[in-house]
Amino acid sequence: MGCMNSKSFKHTPGYEEPSVLASETSFSVNEVEALYELFKKLSHSIFKDGLIHKEELQLALFRNSNRKNLFADRIFDLFDLKRNGVIEFGEFVRSLNIFHPDTPKLEKINFAFRLYDLRNTGFIEREELKEMVLALLNESDISLSDDMVESIVYKTFEQADSNGDGKIDLEEWKEFASQNPALLKNMTLPYLKDITMAFPSFVMKSEIEEDDL
Amino acid sequence: MTIQGYWAFVNWDDDPATLFYTCLHRSNLVIKRVTSKRVTSGATKKMSRGQSSRTCVGKYELGRTLGEGTFAKVKFARNTQNGEAVAIKIIDRDKVLRHKMADQIKTEIKSMKLIKHPNVVQLHEVLASRTKIYMVIDFVDGGELFDKIVKQRHLTEDEARKYFQQLIDAIDYCHSRGVYHRDLKPENLLLDSHGVLKVSDFGLSALAYVREDGLLRTACGTPNYVAPEVLSDKGYDGRASDIWSCGVILFVLLAGYLPFEAAYLPDLYKKIHSAKFKSPHWFSSDVKMLIHQILDPNPKTRINIEQIKDDNWFRKNYQPPNFGKDKDVNLDDIDAIFENPEENLVTERRGRPEPMNAFSLISRSEGLNLDNLFEKQMKGLIKRETRFTSKCPPDEIMTKIEEAAAPLGFNAQKRNYKMKLKGDKSGRKGHLSVATELFEVAPSVHIVELRKTSGDTLEFHTFYNSFKEGLKDVVWKAEAITEEKDEAQASTPITEKKDRHQTSH
Repeated sequence: MGCMNSKSFKHTPGYEEPSVLASETSFSVNEVEALYELFKKLSHSIFKDGLIHKEELQLALFRNSNRKNLFADRIFDLFDLKRNGVIEFGEFVRSLNIFHPDTPKLEKINFAFRLYDLRNTGFIEREELKEMVLALLNESDISLSDDMVESIVYKTFEQADSNGDGKIDLEEWKEFASQNPALLKNMTLPYLKDITMAFPSFVMKSEIEEDDL
Repeated sequence: MTIQGYWAFVNWDDDPATLFYTCLHRSNLVIKRVTSKRVTSGATKKMSRGQSSRTCVGKYELGRTLGEGTFAKVKFARNTQNGEAVAIKIIDRDKVLRHKMADQIKTEIKSMKLIKHPNVVQLHEVLASRTKIYMVIDFVDGGELFDKIVKQRHLTEDEARKYFQQLIDAIDYCHSRGVYHRDLKPENLLLDSHGVLKVSDFGLSALAYVREDGLLRTACGTPNYVAPEVLSDKGYDGRASDIWSCGVILFVLLAGYLPFEAAYLPDLYKKIHSAKFKSPHWFSSDVKMLIHQILDPNPKTRINIEQIKDDNWFRKNYQPPNFGKDKDVNLDDIDAIFENPEENLVTERRGRPEPMNAFSLISRSEGLNLDNLFEKQMKGLIKRETRFTSKCPPDEIMTKIEEAAAPLGFNAQKRNYKMKLKGDKSGRKGHLSVATELFEVAPSVHIVELRKTSGDTLEFHTFYNSFKEGLKDVVWKAEAITEEKDEAQASTPITEKKDRHQTSH
């Protein structure tokens, strides 16, 4: 089709066809097009190269591009599937799909596990959990004594580390997360279902043929 | 499914020729009533040929045409995933581009997205292809309110009041979201199968005023429902002008004819500007007074929504809009705890508040709250929950919460360290109710979370801001719960003159 060529220079590097992304995710083709509108905004907020850089993610999350945050780092690293230091459009859509209300819970549990397994060892270790608790307290401007932090981590391990080997493996995490569904609340974004109305610019740009809707 | 299959959904009216003209949005899109004869045209014909040629748009299976206009066609459709009946407005993308209406359409989709009210036709989703834009909206199948007037000549005061109350509730809600209708008239007032009023085409005013030839025009060719300040081509307050239209509608419902009418347009303008009308003898004095306060030609002295809601005539038999609980709010165990009414009486607290485990704590990081990615972009999106930390002892916090809520008109039901606050006054979306829960981070640090479980989110924000004032002494760190309104719907509702001109003469 003649329009195919014009497409390639119009879109940013790492752009993938909405129909391909829709077939792999819970999003419809139009929803992927609407997500592209969001992606363009995020990826042009600072560097304007159509790729989301870490500073741009920090800006979107905290309204401050310089605000370092352990959890935002983790999100960035997991979204950057190709590990090339930027989030491309395809990576963005596939990763956000985990947060779709229709995505099975197990995928969300797995994602959360990888998020908290800071050093990618396949286990959530005591030090990692402590590091995350400290990061959260720091983020919230709450100061607690080291003993208190230790005690929070200790109690949590008592509940989650069922085989008592001092680290939480995926099976233990699945069990723990199933018992505490509130832990996965941030793994679902109800707004993803309203995305076409939130970013309606796509209606004038859609490249989908009638039959492919 | 064959045509017959579709007929099964048809709610036959007395007159089959006026079939399904109910959800027509002909007014703003100049869509004409489709009579039963046309059922064999277009997509419907295609369907009758069999399964394979059925027209689908995404997950929607298109049915008969409900209305047609220069800009759009409205079709009945069924969501194949859940069987839900909807109406789909199909708009030609080229025409939108040709008339440079793209930005307006985008803005209006965004504002319609904010509207979820039982008395307003809701936009569910937007689809688009290379050539067409599809807006999926509620299918309303009980006819136009106008048909009732035609049949009954005019309504009784009780009947008219019931619809007027629902109309005012809808308008109040939309105005609170910065959305103005600007084209209220009986054709935009539909009834669902239970006789509940549904205002259609909120936020779609841009589509209303452009004709195929590109000329701007007034709705329906006659401005009978339009406020004087709108006619005089100055900037106007969308709030006050919508109220004017409600007054004309109320008059029509009760009288069976228009308050301002003239064969010649300039005469009509004159009548509207001077607000000269005569009420029929059967109007009660109460309603006469209300109508006079509404049809005040000066928008600055015209009665406002709060005053209407306080009016004696209006208040009679008033029933607040029926909202279900917010579907997407996760109530966890809060509700279960309050299910047994006898247990609600338990007031003493036992034990300690729930300690928060480390994962629960870290899952609250803003860095993991990807809503933020959307929040900046989706300006209308507002927080339904918030939290604060406190260094006070838990019992003191609980007591203070109760004390802070009471003067705001909220009753507390509590159980251990969970509490439900319920407003005693009904708001825009019914009673506001807030669930709060207190968690222990460490013996000296507690987190209190507040979630709106029902009611209006904007009212929740107002509540929270005053509530926080009352809690000054116990709050250590509080999360910001800022309201970010779209600039397009900034606090001042003045609409610049842009899309409204008259084709006088």
